[in-house]
Amino acid sequence: MADLLRLQSDFAAALRDRERSAQAAGWLAGDAAHVDGRLALYRANMVAAADKALSGAYPVVRQVVGGEFFHGLARAYQRGTPSTSGDLHEFGATFPAFLAGFEHVRDMPWLPDLARLEWAAHLAYGAADAPDWDAGSLAAVEPASQDAIRFQWTPGLAIVRSTWPIVRVWTIHQAGFDGEFGVDWSVPETALVARDGFTVTVTDCPAADASFIESSLAGAPLGEAVAGTLATHPHFDLGALLGRAFAARLVVGFTL
Amino acid sequence: MTTDDTPTGIGIGLRQPHYREVFERRPALGFVEVHSENFFQAGGASLHALERAREAYPVSLHGVGLSLGSADRLADEHLAKLQRLVERVEPALVSEHLCWGAVGGVHFNDLLPLPHTSETLALLADRIDHVQSTLKRRILVENLSAYVAFRDSPMSETAFLAELARRTGCGLLLDLNNLYVNAMNFGFDAHERLGDLDGATIGQIHLAGHAVVDDCLVDTHGAVVCDPVWALYADACRRFGPRPTLIEWDTDLPTLDVLLDQAAQAADIAGAAHG
Repeated sequence: MADLLRLQSDFAAALRDRERSAQAAGWLAGDAAHVDGRLALYRANMVAAADKALSGAYPVVRQVVGGEFFHGLARAYQRGTPSTSGDLHEFGATFPAFLAGFEHVRDMPWLPDLARLEWAAHLAYGAADAPDWDAGSLAAVEPASQDAIRFQWTPGLAIVRSTWPIVRVWTIHQAGFDGEFGVDWSVPETALVARDGFTVTVTDCPAADASFIESSLAGAPLGEAVAGTLATHPHFDLGALLGRAFAARLVVGFTL
Repeated sequence: MTTDDTPTGIGIGLRQPHYREVFERRPALGFVEVHSENFFQAGGASLHALERAREAYPVSLHGVGLSLGSADRLADEHLAKLQRLVERVEPALVSEHLCWGAVGGVHFNDLLPLPHTSETLALLADRIDHVQSTLKRRILVENLSAYVAFRDSPMSETAFLAELARRTGCGLLLDLNNLYVNAMNFGFDAHERLGDLDGATIGQIHLAGHAVVDDCLVDTHGAVVCDPVWALYADACRRFGPRPTLIEWDTDLPTLDVLLDQAAQAADIAGAAHG
C-alpha cells in the first residue's frame, strides 16, 4: 500500500495548496498546465462541499453576510479546519470560534453567538426523537426524595448565552416571518434551543431558567440545581419553569 | 440475473425539496434513492421522511463518504453509522463508489479517483469484504467520473470492477454518465468498455447529466441525460437485460415532473431494448 498512500498524500497536499500541485503532477498523466487545470476542478469541489455543509448548518449567518461572502468564509474556514468526516453534517462545529477570530466580520460582534445558536439548532434537528413521557409519573416520588430527582431533557436541548439579541436576529430571518424587522441591539438574550416533534424551536430564555436548566443538563439533582439558581436569582420560580417545560415536552423523563 | 432483493424498474433520487410532492402524488416508481450520509443523524425530520418513503417504495442507500479506497484506513465509525441506517431502513440496495476521499485524517468529501493497479485491487477487495461482512449483505460499487488520469494505471476501470466483483461477490453500479464523461475526458470508446462487464454482476444503472467546463466534462448531476448517454443506456439494456435504473439529479434540482419525464424516457428505452 506504500505507493497508494504516497499518491493520496501527494494528491491531498496539492488539493490543499496550489503551490504544491507539482507533488501530485508526478503521479498524473498530462503536462503541468493540464494537471493544474484539472486539480482546480477538484479544489472547487472541495470548497463547494464546505460551503454547502456550512450553509446547511448556518443558514442565518449566510443570509446575514450574503452568499458570496459566505463562500469566502467557507473557503477560509476549511483551509484552517478541514473536514475530518465523510459525514458533512459533522463539519463546522468550530465555525463560531473561527468567526470570532476573523477580522473581516469584526463589525458584526454578535455573529459568533448567532453561529453558536445555529450550531445548537443544527444538532437539535438531528437529535434522537424524544420518547413519550407522562409528567404525572413524578407524583409517585416521595417528598423526601424530590431533591434527588435528575431530569432528562429532550435530546438536543441546549442553552446558548449571549450579550446580544441572538434570538431576535434568528427569529426575523426565519422563512415566513412577517412581523417587525427592528432589532434592539442593547438587549442581551439567552437562547433555549430544543426540538418539538420535528421542528427546532428557539426561544428567549430568562436568566434564572437558563441557570437552572444548565445545571440540570450538567447532571445536578433537583435540590442542588434549585439552590444554585436561587443563590444568583432569588426570584426563580421552579414551579412556573417546570410547568412550561412539561407543556413544551422539554423534559422527557427523570432518574432518582 | 438480479438478486432476490433487487428492485426492478426506474427510480429517481429523492431530494428534500421534492419530499412533500412525492408523498402526496405517489408517482409510480420502481424505487427511490437517497444519499446514506444525509440520514446518519440519531433522529429528526430527515429520518422520518426517509421512513415515510420506505413505506411507499423500495429504498436504495447510496453512500458518498465511506471512502473505500483510502489507503491509510477505512472509517469504521462511518461504517457503523451506515450499518445502523441499513438496519433501520432495510434498503433494497446499498451502494458505494470506487474512490477515495480522505487521507491523514483530512476528508475532502469528494469522490477522488484511484489508479487501477494490483495494489489498489487488493486493498479494495479487502475493504469490500469487510463492509459486506459488517453489513451482512452484498453492496454495489460504482464506477467514477474523473478529471485526472494516472501515469501508472494498467487496468481499465471496467476491467478493474469486473475483477473486484469476481473476487468479492460485490455487485456493480454502472453509472453510464460517469463512463461517458471519462470516455470524453480520456479518449476511449464507452460502448467498447461495456464489453468488459459481466451482466450478472450489474445490480443497478445510474443515468445523470453533466456540464462542460473548458476542455473537461464535469459530473454535476445537474442536467438532463444527454443523447450519447441515452444511446449507451440502450446498448447496456440490450447487452445486460433489464436492470433497476436511477435518474440521478443533485444540483439545480428541477421540478419533480422533469425527473419523472426522464424516468419515462428511460422506461421507453429499456422497454424497446427488451421487446
